[in-house]
This record gives sequence, C-alpha cells and structure tokens, in this order.
Amino acid sequence: MKVDLKYKLFLLLSFIVTIQACVPDVEPPVTKPLFYQPDGFPPTSGQLVNNPVTYYGFSLGKKLFYDPILSLDSTISCGSCHQQFAAFAHLDHKLSHGINDLEGTRNAPPLFNLAWHSNFFWDGGSSHIDMQPIGPITNPVEMNESLLNVLVKLRRSTYYPALFKKAFGSDSITTQAMTRALAQFMSSLISANSKYDQVKTGTATFTVDEQNGYTLFKSKCESCHKEPLMTDLNFRNNGLDLHFADAGRARITLQPSDSGKFKVPSLRNVAVTYPYMHDGRLNSLSKVIDHYRSGIIQSSTIDPLLTGGNMSITDAEKQQLLLFLNTLTDPAFLNDKRFSEK
Amino acid sequence: MKNKFLNMLMIAFVAISIVSCDDDETTPPSNNGTTTYNSGSVGLNFENIAGSVFLDPTGATNYVNAAGETFSVTNFKYYVSNVKLIKDDGTKYEVPNSYFLIDANDTNSLIAELSNIPGGKYTGIEYMIGVDSARNVSGSQTGALDPVNGMFWSWNQGYIFMKLEGQSSASSNNSFVYHIGGFSGAYSALRTVSIDFTPSILIVDGGKREAEIHILTDVLEIFKNPNNISIANSSTIMGVGISSSNVANNYADMFSFDHIHNDPL
Repeated sequence: MKVDLKYKLFLLLSFIVTIQACVPDVEPPVTKPLFYQPDGFPPTSGQLVNNPVTYYGFSLGKKLFYDPILSLDSTISCGSCHQQFAAFAHLDHKLSHGINDLEGTRNAPPLFNLAWHSNFFWDGGSSHIDMQPIGPITNPVEMNESLLNVLVKLRRSTYYPALFKKAFGSDSITTQAMTRALAQFMSSLISANSKYDQVKTGTATFTVDEQNGYTLFKSKCESCHKEPLMTDLNFRNNGLDLHFADAGRARITLQPSDSGKFKVPSLRNVAVTYPYMHDGRLNSLSKVIDHYRSGIIQSSTIDPLLTGGNMSITDAEKQQLLLFLNTLTDPAFLNDKRFSEK
Repeated sequence: MKNKFLNMLMIAFVAISIVSCDDDETTPPSNNGTTTYNSGSVGLNFENIAGSVFLDPTGATNYVNAAGETFSVTNFKYYVSNVKLIKDDGTKYEVPNSYFLIDANDTNSLIAELSNIPGGKYTGIEYMIGVDSARNVSGSQTGALDPVNGMFWSWNQGYIFMKLEGQSSASSNNSFVYHIGGFSGAYSALRTVSIDFTPSILIVDGGKREAEIHILTDVLEIFKNPNNISIANSSTIMGVGISSSNVANNYADMFSFDHIHNDPL
C-alpha cells in the first residue's frame, strides 16, 4: 500500500515535469545575445539605459509587434508594414498602409540598428525609441487606435498579464511597460553581419567590382551614408524637389531652412527595402543612382554637399556601385528566426 | 454692571477667537531658543475660475472672453511641474519629481500633493506650466506624465501643456480647441509662474498644522494679455508654433494667489 502510493506520486510528478517541459519559453542559448555592440559600431544613443534588453522583455515586445490588437479594428500590426524579409520595411509599398486601406504620406522605413538613433521618423519627430510606437498606433491613417484602448485590450487578454509579469515583474499593463517591451524588441533588430561587415572583420573579401564600387561609395556617398551605420543620422535635402509637398524636418523644427530635409536613411539592406525616398517615389536602386547622376534639383535648402550639381558616375561605375550596395544585405538578419512572427 | 461685565467678557472672548483664527504668526513650540518645524505635506489647490465665478467645465455655463465672444468650457487641463517653494530667507526648495496634471473635470486632480516639504516658513511658490524639455525626451513616463492621459502629441512628439476645449457660437463649427505645447526653440510654450503669498506666510510644520495653498486659475486670461485671441479668428490652435506661443504668453499670468489654510491641527 505504501509502495503503491509512492509509485503514484512518482507518476504524478513525472507527469507534472512533462507538462512543464512542454511550455515553450525556454531561454535561447546564451551564446547569441539579443542586444550587443557590434565591432566597430559607435556608442549607442543610450536610450536603453533604464530598459536593458531581457529575453522576456524582448519576447513580449515581439508579441506586441506582431499583434494587430494594437490597431483599432485588429487588422494591422507593426509587422504589417515592417516585414522582416524587407529588413522591416514595407516591400513594394510607396506609402504606409493603415486600417481600412488608408494610405499615409511617407514610406515605412526599415527597422534595424535603432539603438544608435536618438530620434525617429523621417522628420525626427520622435525623440525616444520608447515613444516612437505611439506615432503609428494613434495615427488615424495607420493603426488609428488610442493608447488607452490598447491598454484596455491588453489587460482584457488571457495571456498578456502573465507576459508582462515575466518581462517586468508586475502584471499591471502600463504604457511604460508596453512601450519598453517594444523598445527592447526593436533595439534587438541589429544588422551587422553583411558581406561588407565580414570584409571589415577579415572573414570575407570583396570581388574586384565590389571593391571598385566601395571605393566609389567612399568618394561619392559616404559623407552622408557614413560607415559603419551607413547613415550620419542627420537631416538633409538630397535634391528631390524644387518645392516641398512635405516640409520634412521643418514640420518639427519650424525652421524654413529645414524644409525638404529628411533623415539620411541607412544603406544597410538597401537592396531589399525598395521603394526608396521618404515618399517611395523611386522603385529601384538603379533609379536612385540615376537621381544622383542626373536628377539633383537645386533648391533653397539643397544639401551643401550637393550644390555642385549632378555627380559624374559612369554606367560601369554605377554597376560597381550596385554590386557594392548588394554587399550591405545581411541575410542572417533577414532570416533570423528570433525576430520572425512564427 | 454685571451685564456690562458679561458684555465685556463676550467681546474679549470673540476677540480672542478672532485672533486665534489668524495664527500664521503664532510662535511654534521652541526648543532651547531655536524654533523647529516638522517636515510635512503641502496641498497645492487649484480653483479654476472664469473671471469672478467658478468655472463650470461641463459646458453648461456661458462666459464672455475679451473679444466679447460667448463660450463654454468642456475640457480644461494643464500641467504644473517643477514646483519650488520660496523660504522666508529667500532660498528655494525644489520639490523633487513634481509633475501634476490638473483637470477641471477631475476633482481629485485639483489638489497637487507636495510631500516631504521641509518644515519652516514659506513666502511664495514657483512652478512651470508644462513639462520641461528633459522629460519630453526621456522615454516612457508614468503617473501624470503617462501618455495615456491624452496630453502627448504622437507625431511631433512632446507633451501638450494646456488643453482648453469648448463651444462657442463665434466659431463656424460651434466649437473651439486649443492644444498648446512645445518644449524647445523659439516657440516654446513653457512658462514659469511665480506667486508671492505675502503678507501671508505658509508655515510647514508636519502633524501640527494644515498647509494648503489656494491658487485661482482664470480661463479668461487665456484669451487676453498680452495677445487678444478671438475664437472667430482662431477656433483651432494646435501644435507648436507662434500661435501656441502667443497663447502661452497669455496663460503665463492666468494664476493668482488666493489664500492659505494654515490652522493648527
């Protein structure tokens, strides 16, 4: 009788252990940190100082990022317009898409290496990675939802309170916890393993054409698309228009001298993030290079580096430049399962 | 004679009672010749008014602004932050982490509780209307600064310092909306308010006296001095810019000192 009871207890315990083992929240191998400082990168903006990336914070952020519950009618998630295979840009969409097929006024930018940015949006209208998501969530032509409603829906859910508790030690679902989780996920989207990076660390070599393209890039592009982030993070007018339908940076600073200026986009993963420019007007990299070869428009706020007019780039050089730009694609990042919806 | 004596006694009694009401200057218990006061809480009360009457924030009462336009108020909110109490020796005590969202429609919000104020005598108060630039760019905040309170702009991100909304026949759509903010640059809407209590004095002596400051906030001031704002011409003022900054210049003087409650407990 006694033995029998012990045996039953053993069975019961085994059963419990088995059930627990099925819960899929095992921490990933410690060999690959979610957030790290890639070799050669400058210091981060420091916006994560009060919000260090943890596995559970990251996981909650990812869950939120892919959850359409953040939109008014539960049809659009952050991931709808920020697709991993397009380096978290919206492939082949000129302008951002919102609920009810509404269209925004700007191209959804790719998301990576955001911890090195101290402002966000094409015009820098957000000064903190925590607060940035409030823009698309509440924009009437994007997710069109109120922050309060998002919190109410998350609180009502059967699983979010537990996820918040795991991430932040409390199941109270607040703006701060929600935005910090999203910031943890977005900051972990680090792209630093392209062929270009491998060449820099000596584990790969450029072909002759790629190397020539790189040399050309250094002389024609790098002053704005600064290595290694491939952006100097400044706001510049690259000569798209004479008059500015979108005031760009001037919307924020109210300085006429900032009209038509937009944040210099990173060229990392640029081959997979078409279309290009703040309004998605150019649908291929070839057209982008042609813009700098023959389309630069001198206007009142044209960037000082472009006042000399169009760049002289031969057809052969253009091909080499394109080959170099392709080395900035980071397949490991584009296919990293940790960032994937499923 | 007896009557006269009684009358005298009554008068004396009443006089003493009156004197004992005016106890701002009562000497607190002394200890070896030095006066010590306990630290304590101060209630900073905001009473919203429209000229000479209390503001009705439900939209049911009409007021007239400086432009002669009739309007009612359905929403009136503003941030009070970076509170400093001025001591009688002229030094200032900065209340740490002091951010308050005053909402005319939420009576609980009308008293900003300043806790752990050092004991002593205070002659005035300073505070900011709005939210300082640092807190605008330091990430997700909590409490009064939680963006869920609806006082945060989402695209040109930053706090809305003051919201005044209501109805007015002067407006073509019968309503007006003023959302004022901007934490940096030429059009900053941050304003610092300095209020002098004197001849009143606030004594903070925790556990021994109540300590409440009552301040009047007059919505009519938002429409005037120095810039006359007409609802007919400007029924919507939103965002950062010269119009907002003009309204900020007006609201800089919408506060006035009313009285202090400082009775012994």
